Amino acid sequence: MHKTFIVASSEFNTLTRSKAFLIGLFLMPVFMGAAVALQRTGRDQTDGKDRLLAVIDRTGVLYGPLKAAADEWNAAGASNADGARTSPRFLPSAVNPDSGTPESLRAELSDRVRRDELYAFVEIPANALEPGVTETLRYHSNHPAYRLLPDWISTTLNREIVNQRFRVAAIDRATVARLTRPLRLEQLGLVTRDERGELKAAEHVDEIKTLAVPAAMMVLMFFAVMSTTPQLLNSTIEEKMSRISEVLIGSVTPFQLMMGKLMGSAAVSLLLACVYLAGGFAVATHWGYGDAVTWSAMTWFLLFLILALFIFGSVFIAIGAACSDLKDAQNMMTPAMLLLMLPAFTWFPVARSPDSPMAMTLSMIPTAAPFLMLMRIAVPPGPPFWQVAASVSITALTVVGAVYAAGKIFRTGLLMQGKAATLAEMWRWVRAH
Amino acid sequence: MTAAIRLSNVTKRFGPTTAVDHLTLDVPSGAIYGFIGPNGSGKTTTLRMIMHILLPDEGEIEVLGSPDTAAARDRVSYLPEERGLYKRMAVRRLLRYYGRLKGRTIAELDPLIDDWLNRLGLREWADRKVETLSKGMSQKVQFIASVVSQPSLLILDEPFSGLDPVNAETLKDAVLETRRRGTTVVFSTHDMATAEKMCDRIFMIFRGKKVLDGTLEEIQAQYGLDTVRIRSAAGSAALAGLPGIESINDYGQLQEVRLAGDPQAFLHQLAARTAVYHFEVARPSLHDIFVRIAGNGNA
Repeated sequence: MHKTFIVASSEFNTLTRSKAFLIGLFLMPVFMGAAVALQRTGRDQTDGKDRLLAVIDRTGVLYGPLKAAADEWNAAGASNADGARTSPRFLPSAVNPDSGTPESLRAELSDRVRRDELYAFVEIPANALEPGVTETLRYHSNHPAYRLLPDWISTTLNREIVNQRFRVAAIDRATVARLTRPLRLEQLGLVTRDERGELKAAEHVDEIKTLAVPAAMMVLMFFAVMSTTPQLLNSTIEEKMSRISEVLIGSVTPFQLMMGKLMGSAAVSLLLACVYLAGGFAVATHWGYGDAVTWSAMTWFLLFLILALFIFGSVFIAIGAACSDLKDAQNMMTPAMLLLMLPAFTWFPVARSPDSPMAMTLSMIPTAAPFLMLMRIAVPPGPPFWQVAASVSITALTVVGAVYAAGKIFRTGLLMQGKAATLAEMWRWVRAH
Repeated sequence: MTAAIRLSNVTKRFGPTTAVDHLTLDVPSGAIYGFIGPNGSGKTTTLRMIMHILLPDEGEIEVLGSPDTAAARDRVSYLPEERGLYKRMAVRRLLRYYGRLKGRTIAELDPLIDDWLNRLGLREWADRKVETLSKGMSQKVQFIASVVSQPSLLILDEPFSGLDPVNAETLKDAVLETRRRGTTVVFSTHDMATAEKMCDRIFMIFRGKKVLDGTLEEIQAQYGLDTVRIRSAAGSAALAGLPGIESINDYGQLQEVRLAGDPQAFLHQLAARTAVYHFEVARPSLHDIFVRIAGNGNA
């Protein structure tokens, strides 16, 4: 055991002295800071470009209100501290519907859009004011991703169309609005009692607490696993190809060597995770969410992180021992990476419906359990205890199996030079006595 | 003298290939023992079994008096042919790491590391990364890594390959110094001249079987005085067609001839053809013996 710790300590020192570790340590806060900065910058960004819009109004009554609404929009357009507009001006112009056939008008206006004389054009059908009409407002543009203008047109025209329909039907729109106004649903937790038995009012359900915190913990775990376990593959290949492993297993058993590497790598991940947890806790406390990061959640996080590190660490070590270079390893990495990515593809439905059969099934799959069961635990009220116990047990047994299999592959693969082992060969090594 | 290594009827197979075939060998304590043999003959497999990296399929191996080769692990050191060093690790850190894996403490190791670094002229490189070292320096660091734990048995795989004469000389002195301190040294080499000069005993393996084992004199005695070394005015041209010649090794200025007949009669015939400046009846060199065995493909 003593030698295992010597290997682990060397692995820990090597990894923490590497540039990759320092980059990993600072990368996440830098990314998060950059994201916040970009959001703030984006908020103040000006988009003062005029949007010229041609309107073919076949009703003959909607262009006027649309133009008035555009003037109102342009007058109310926000400006930043420098006085520059932060939203675009919408500049509609009427097109006589009788100046050509519908097709020729569309073709002519399309050419004007292509020549940048117009940004878009919209066609209002003649029967737009009739109730139950099935025709559509036709919006043409070569900027399909830009939503602001078509959304504004749709809202503005539909509001005016509905107003006019009410007027024709002699119904007071304001009365209808008052009568049909829905009640807002306020989502609350449960009423609780304090130590003295006095009732405490139910708290508002906070989206950040219910979704953002569990998601952040899962992302952090993913980051901690990804930051060190794939490096085990590289270091194993390096040791194998430069014959370092031959020197080492003249001093320690292959199992001691592998466990030392796993423990060293896991220690680095735990260090990273603890640094980020502490940072995350400080940030959460600053914004008033300190109580969202509980000791219980952190304990589960660390337990599941250790299990994930040992599962994926074993897999990457085994691949490294079975391959002769990184190119060989790339092919074998794909299934391992897919297993690792499974929680990333499924976390959202699990977080939205943590007690669904799908969430329960996924959180029992050993490679996904550390991520998804942690998320289920973090989303109130949490899963039943038996499910947590089953998930931890299945994952822990998988860790034992993965370490055992990796140990067998490591022992044989480490001395094999020249070609990568096939999956069938690796399976034979695992089964060999 | 007790045996540092004892192999009894050891066999190792890899699938259908028998890498080592019923090998029996005693390496005496305190000796310098040379392992020779062509590539793929079973040398490295034998060394790996002694190191407990591989286990034999049959037979028994005793290392430093223990039938459990793993138990002797901390008293055996290994220098691989290709440098087994972490490129991005500093020299001192690497030497400490390898020494600690052999059961030594840093307090024990540091004076030994300093001593060896001084002795091999690497003191200034102690805190530099391995990747900054030249090939010769790396080889010397690897050697220090293998002796810093003061092993009882030191196994060196091609320790002098690729070294310039100065570094080879330095390393040779270091190996002899290690032996003087009581360490048994086993080294494999393709350099027959080095094996002849340094080894107390020489063992040759060919196709997994032992074909030579003994002192240089004992080995040469098996082949008798069947070699003549000749320097003549006409060189190798004068030898063409002379009776009794089994093989000629032409070095340009000197020819080494393996002779089946009487050397005196051969000299008489050669002198009739050209002026003979040097004629020496000798035992075959280790190189010649190696080539005879490996070249003919049989022992």
